[in-house]
Amino acid sequence: MKILIIEDELQLAQNISAYLSDEQYLCEHAATFEQAMEKVTVYDYDCILLDLMLPGGDGFRILEEIKRLNKQDGVIIISARNSYDDKIRGLQTGADDYLAKPFHLPELAARVYSVIRRRNFGNNNVIRQHELKIDLLAKTVTIHDEPVVLTKKEFDLLLYFIGNKNRVISKSALAEHLSGDVADMMDSHSFVYAHIKNLKRKLNEAGGGNYLKTVYGTGYKWEI
Amino acid sequence: MNKLLSKSLKAFILYAGIVLACSIPAYYFIIDLIWQHELKEHNLIISASVKQNIRNLSLPGEDLARGIQLWNKLQPEKQLKPVDRLQPDSTYNIYRRNQYIPAKGTDRFEGLVTYFEIDGKPYSLTVETNMEESHETIIAIAVITFFFFALLLGGFIYLNRRISRRLWQPFYQSLQKISQFDLNRQQPVMFEKTDIAEFEALNSHLQKLISANIAAYRQQKEFTENASHELQTPLAIVQGKLDLLLQSKPLTDEQSTIIDDTHTALSRVTRINKNLLLLARLENSQFSGKEMIDLGALLEKTLALLHDFAEDRSLAVEKNIPAGVKVMGNKILAEILLTNLLSNAIRHTEKGGTVTVTLSEHTLTIANTGREALRMENLFQRFGTASSHTPGTGLGLAIVQEICRHDGWKAAYSFGQGRHVFNIDFRVWILNSF
Repeated sequence: MKILIIEDELQLAQNISAYLSDEQYLCEHAATFEQAMEKVTVYDYDCILLDLMLPGGDGFRILEEIKRLNKQDGVIIISARNSYDDKIRGLQTGADDYLAKPFHLPELAARVYSVIRRRNFGNNNVIRQHELKIDLLAKTVTIHDEPVVLTKKEFDLLLYFIGNKNRVISKSALAEHLSGDVADMMDSHSFVYAHIKNLKRKLNEAGGGNYLKTVYGTGYKWEI
Repeated sequence: MNKLLSKSLKAFILYAGIVLACSIPAYYFIIDLIWQHELKEHNLIISASVKQNIRNLSLPGEDLARGIQLWNKLQPEKQLKPVDRLQPDSTYNIYRRNQYIPAKGTDRFEGLVTYFEIDGKPYSLTVETNMEESHETIIAIAVITFFFFALLLGGFIYLNRRISRRLWQPFYQSLQKISQFDLNRQQPVMFEKTDIAEFEALNSHLQKLISANIAAYRQQKEFTENASHELQTPLAIVQGKLDLLLQSKPLTDEQSTIIDDTHTALSRVTRINKNLLLLARLENSQFSGKEMIDLGALLEKTLALLHDFAEDRSLAVEKNIPAGVKVMGNKILAEILLTNLLSNAIRHTEKGGTVTVTLSEHTLTIANTGREALRMENLFQRFGTASSHTPGTGLGLAIVQEICRHDGWKAAYSFGQGRHVFNIDFRVWILNSF
């Protein structure tokens, strides 16, 4: 899978690239508007991470260009502006998602994963992992073809882990993900713990493997 | 509070009153003195003419005695009496009961006793003239003085009004303009031209002050926005580095705890920054567009979002949300407002407490159980309730307040019967209360 990071802040681009790059993802980087335009028009990517404020031009014009060329690349806007107008405009222009800076890298990874899944698998969007089967459209989970009943938050967490497999995720990142807009509610480390405990229990009881592991006492990891 | 002009008016009236009051005895003494002096002269003239006329008569002794007797009977105010010897003239001033018209009470008389000889025999002549009594004089003077005082008073008040209306008008206009000035709206104040140098100077200085204030205020707000904005990227970098650090191997539990703690603190900084940016945008009026918001639906949605948190703290959430309550406002902001208030209520209620949400046509009331009242003065201020012991940023209520101001609503807090009550009044209030 090819990912293009359009971001003028080198450190940030390196962070993203270092976190995402593995046997699954291949990251490229464009630091200016011209570079980005060139890459976007010439190559195809599975997902493009687009910063709106670039030296040399407005990120929206890149998005418009992608849509004009009728390309199938998924686009996630990553912007420091965090303006609701930008968000609405971006999604209306055809971006798949919008992530405000600063963000946790696992959050970005989960969203990239989800965008690529949606783009590539369309109507038959089912993730299989050994005995585990997740239907993204129906939002159902089965283990050994037996349904496992998960709450919305647990399902959400499961996808988050799948999108970050083999990486350690901090409680903070999970808390932020779970509380979303109400991130002020952070007494939520215990809250995170409760949800993860439930998810783990339900998967185990249904006969699933022990993929979800506690690491170093404070983080979690979906190991496969 | 005294008005400037009425203060000077009071001083003028007091001064005029004192002067006029002092003038009453002064007038009395002078009038009485002149009066007495004139009567003395009058008595002297009469006595001189009486003496002369009697001497000119040259009556023989017996006729003279009879004449004097008759004279004394007819003219009791001019008594002629034989005396032992001649004495120097004397005068007196007495009050005496009126013998002829008792109703008149006492009268005042100025008298002259003069001695002279007729045919070698000494006689005294007493001449008395009725004089105005002193209390009557005083009353007359006082009445006139009070009349003039009243005249002065009326004149002062009338002139004062005219002056205040004409002369001070530009001053009062400027005053009104300043009182209407609202730094948040940043409309520069334009003063009207006046031909009075002092007022013109005052206005121009005020204008300078206000424009400088507006500029400073704007700069400060832009600074907040720019600063918060500039912080986003470095914060994102640090957060990313921490996420990466967590992936490195080998990592001890201790190092992992450090990373986690750093993450927690960083999240707090991020949230504060985000909220500051939101506040700056609110103040800079960057949220345009109002629409009819279905408050009931929005409340239900927000409550659903917070459901897990409430359950986590085993709180009972009592809802009284009728359908169809709609208000005019910015939907995104309304959502933030509800989230802030509800998450506050949920976060600050002790385990097992109750949160009550009541919506009516014009008001939203969110109440939660609590032990003692919050300190009101800092409640809606930035960082007024901040503490490093709570996960809150100390900006939530400041944002609520700012959103209310943005849409013309009113937020209030009260405490009673063991409950914190936050109240939002959705009727549009005129913005001059700030």
